[in-house]
Amino acid sequence: MTTTTLEKQDKGEKTDFVRLFLTQRIPLLAVLIVIVVVTFFINDAGGYLTAPYDFDYMSAALINAVPLAMLGLAEMLVILSGRGGIDLSVGAIVSLAGMIFGFAYGEWGWPLWLAIIATAGFGALLGAVNGFLVSYIGFPALIATLATFYAYKSIAIVINNQQPISTEPIQQLFSLSKSVELPIIGQYIPDVPLGIFTFLLPTVVAVWLLLARTAYGRRLYGIGTNDVAARWAGLPVRDTRFKAYVYAGLISGLVAVVTVAQFASARPDAGVSGNGMALPAITIAVLGGVAITGGIGRVAGVVLATLLIVWLNAGILLAFVGNEGSQYQLLALGAVLVFAALLNGLTNRKYGGASS
Amino acid sequence: MTTLAVKPGQRVLQSPVTGQEIVLVGVIAVLWAALAVSTPAFLTAGSIQPLLVATAPIALVGVGMTIVIITGGIDVSVGGAIMVCSVITAKVLVEAEVSLGVAVLISLLSGAALGLVNGVLIAYGRVHAIIITFGTANIFMFLGLQIFGSGTVNGIPATLAFFGRGPDGRTLGIPHAFLVTILITAAAWWYLRHTAGGRHFFAIGGDAQAARLAGVRVQRRVLLAYVLTGVLVGLASCFVIAQGTSTLDQSVGSGKELAVIAAVVIGGTSIMGGRGSVLGTLLGALLVQTVSSGVTQLGWRSQLSDLFVGIFIIVAVGADLLRARARRSR
Repeated sequence: MTTTTLEKQDKGEKTDFVRLFLTQRIPLLAVLIVIVVVTFFINDAGGYLTAPYDFDYMSAALINAVPLAMLGLAEMLVILSGRGGIDLSVGAIVSLAGMIFGFAYGEWGWPLWLAIIATAGFGALLGAVNGFLVSYIGFPALIATLATFYAYKSIAIVINNQQPISTEPIQQLFSLSKSVELPIIGQYIPDVPLGIFTFLLPTVVAVWLLLARTAYGRRLYGIGTNDVAARWAGLPVRDTRFKAYVYAGLISGLVAVVTVAQFASARPDAGVSGNGMALPAITIAVLGGVAITGGIGRVAGVVLATLLIVWLNAGILLAFVGNEGSQYQLLALGAVLVFAALLNGLTNRKYGGASS
Repeated sequence: MTTLAVKPGQRVLQSPVTGQEIVLVGVIAVLWAALAVSTPAFLTAGSIQPLLVATAPIALVGVGMTIVIITGGIDVSVGGAIMVCSVITAKVLVEAEVSLGVAVLISLLSGAALGLVNGVLIAYGRVHAIIITFGTANIFMFLGLQIFGSGTVNGIPATLAFFGRGPDGRTLGIPHAFLVTILITAAAWWYLRHTAGGRHFFAIGGDAQAARLAGVRVQRRVLLAYVLTGVLVGLASCFVIAQGTSTLDQSVGSGKELAVIAAVVIGGTSIMGGRGSVLGTLLGALLVQTVSSGVTQLGWRSQLSDLFVGIFIIVAVGADLLRARARRSR
């Protein structure tokens, strides 16, 4: 973080637009979003899409941004903590915490607020297992979370005999994920999915405050940048890293609630079916400029990366007939990730490190 | 990592079998004994042969994955690569009715091409392997689904039965797929241990910069590791087709990357690079398969086997961490 500011002062005169776009992830993502949206608007005007791609559609697509951005932020926290930090188990936590939410709210009849708090707390507990293994025992994060991925996934499926929970109260939760008209300005802009306000925005603000406005955030960047130096500076390295995994688990627990509401059912394989949720979440974090080596990454980057992928996917879905679209979404996600990674590598060599 | 200073008369190489491998042999022996006592049907050819056949593809890809991880990399795209190779091979078998050798060759070449993509991007793009292979995993899955076209490939002829579950797939009761896996593992074990080229992989994983200064062509070696993995994925895909029915569906290969990585880390290979053994990987794959076969035979829910895999990863790597701590303090 600090070195990049120094370098900027150093080579201040050489700063030009090309360099800005290559080294600053946020302007690059903003430009890419504009390109994607304009491309699909032009295609739409030319009648090449199967349904209109307009602001209403883009707004409705935002419902997919809720779990994606939240898990992307969860991955960002653990990747920031450095020493190969990564969490492969977030999808399995979503499945297992979702089943717990299904029991608490759908079968035991707990009030909604209590069930949500319990689910988030349970997610944090599952994250704490990861954090304990990684930070206090010294497991490589990839291995610890691979093991808990298997364990949580298995427990989520066995806990209710492979059956989803979709009792009356769970089914009514679907109203949480519908779109609402905003007060005052609502007539002039499209309806926005409710989940954006109830889950995504609070999480984004909370993570931003945590990273940018608290001592904990500073410590997290510190241990991620240089673990040994942080220890000699007297920072509680283990405790800080441990908490990053706990927060990631907590956010995954909240995503579990969102997912249950979206499907109107607590599915035992919600977070691990198909490709799972961890892979897209890591992709979003890396695309958003989080350095896999730790210590570099910003909330705004992750949010913009989510918008890029969500609106790109929404457009691709309209550009192809049938399930071709979902296949091209895989290609887009993979190609964008490889492109972003190669760009990072290039800027690292050419400009001595990409700042987020 | 392994030896810091060599005194006269001291071994340069580690002993042929590591502690982790002895422990694994012990654990597998205990598990087999326990299963033999609780379900008499376990220690019969009808139960052991499918176990060995099912171990083969994971262990085979595991050989490549071990080399990749020894260099300090990782390849999470092998699941997608298995999908691409099997669907190409299955389509060729159905539409061109080629012979066994041609089918295997096509599968190997497809795998090598996919491995080359990973290798070039990682060795020359100088990007962390996990990011690149997460990306190529998606791209490979896209390719595989495109080649699939419709939902399934139907009516695959029994050309590959040589590697299959049936009587054609065995010699003296030993499944060919497992025999081939043993031979390749043994060859890789010798190559990694006793040739300069093999030792280079360990040098790169220990310290890539030092290896470069010592004259190792780091980029070519890294590229080779991914291409080798690709070739083995190609062969494993033939096993997968042979083990299945005459129908191949789109779930082929799904989740296999994590199963392979689990086998490698249970086998004692360090995810940090510089240390590992293909023998351990074979035992790790055998252990994972024993657990899932045992869980089914005991009549438990098959999904429970994942829980045990998770626990085994923690125990195996935890034991390795403790030994490493003991080595350091000595």
